[in-house]
Amino acid sequence: MAVLISAIVVLTGCVNATVDEMTFLEPTEGIGDRSVVILGRRHAPDYETEFEFIECVGDHIRTGDPSITVIGERQFLDTLYPWFEPRTAPLRTEDIDTLLKEAPVAKELSALKLEYMVWIDGTTVETNSSGSMTCGVGPGGAGCFGFGTWGKASDYEATIWGLSDKAEVGRIAANTSGQSYMPAVVVPIPIIAPVQGTACDSLGDQLLKYLSAQY
Amino acid sequence: MTSDRKGLLLLISLLVLLSSGCGTRQVVVEGRFPSPLMEPLPITLGVVYSDEFANHEFYDEAVGRNESDWLVRTGDAQVEFWNTLLGGMFERVVIIKDHDTLHAIDAPIDAVLIPYVEDLQYTIPLHTNIKVYEIWMRYRFRLVDVSSIHDHDNGDISYYPTESFADFQLSAYGKTPTAFLQSDEEAVNLAAVVALRDAGAHFATAFERVPEVATWLQTIEDKTRDQ
Repeated sequence: MAVLISAIVVLTGCVNATVDEMTFLEPTEGIGDRSVVILGRRHAPDYETEFEFIECVGDHIRTGDPSITVIGERQFLDTLYPWFEPRTAPLRTEDIDTLLKEAPVAKELSALKLEYMVWIDGTTVETNSSGSMTCGVGPGGAGCFGFGTWGKASDYEATIWGLSDKAEVGRIAANTSGQSYMPAVVVPIPIIAPVQGTACDSLGDQLLKYLSAQY
Repeated sequence: MTSDRKGLLLLISLLVLLSSGCGTRQVVVEGRFPSPLMEPLPITLGVVYSDEFANHEFYDEAVGRNESDWLVRTGDAQVEFWNTLLGGMFERVVIIKDHDTLHAIDAPIDAVLIPYVEDLQYTIPLHTNIKVYEIWMRYRFRLVDVSSIHDHDNGDISYYPTESFADFQLSAYGKTPTAFLQSDEEAVNLAAVVALRDAGAHFATAFERVPEVATWLQTIEDKTRDQ
């Protein structure tokens, strides 16, 4: 039984991942005592970058190199309100100067020792789904029978802004896709493709390479 | 009570339950609102929240059998949010509730702001087949001189809209995607909080650019310089 449960737990679907990277002005000694914030773009009408995804990338960097200070997105948005809301967030590096003209904003960013602002734009969508499953409960027990499958695709791009240079210093794109399956003969066995998780790890790894002296 | 009566009561209860399956879904908007990070304008601003604004709610009657009526109460959240925002935007804010507060004012008030929610619309995935909950609001703001606020014997206060020296509108929009284990009510609340934050961002960045407001601020600045 334990073997069966372990097998079910480790069953994961396949994910295809493509990562493109273009970075410059890399800090050779890492970012030291300076900090970085990772923010999601949310001004598109039909999608918004998930808060959970931004949190995942931040956690990936923190776990990979605990010496890097990653400011939490929600904390940053509340502290700098109303300058980073979807309506007011800077869209180009040229907007940084305009933002810094607001004395309290400049003071706060300086207090946070913010060196890099990473903007992540993208989302994860379900691309297809098919199959059917029937579950029932009777006096003798309960069970399901059938087969379901669904595909997901993640498409994210991270743009790194260097605040000292007030310039874009890198772009990293991660595209992943995968198909999940759920066969059920009495017990449903989910074989989940970690599409968004793989995109998070891919972006997180590349950002770690850029920001950390250890990688 | 006989078993026949008990059976009848049970049947009536079941019928009542079945017929009320698609009752009103109610959301009392609640959220945490940050103070704006900006240099406060050197102005003492009076604020009048009308009863309609302070108790603002939006009711939408269901059109289909599978839909529910929706009641979205935003009043308390509106007052809490605008108090926080205006408190950070202006050096001093005085809330004018009635005759007593109007006459208890100890410092000169530069102007009185009166906000209104003119329209509120919402959509849920059931309406649009898009996995997003949305709230859209349109506000109207009027600025009047404090002398235009009139008090009445019953303690109420009023003003004539024609006496306002600035009258402007702004819209606000909030959306939140569907999420695992998130109810419709939670999602509508979150969309409303995002819309309120958007309203604040819009107000904070656009206020000084409203032509009548810019002229008024210039007048105050000139007056202060001359003193």
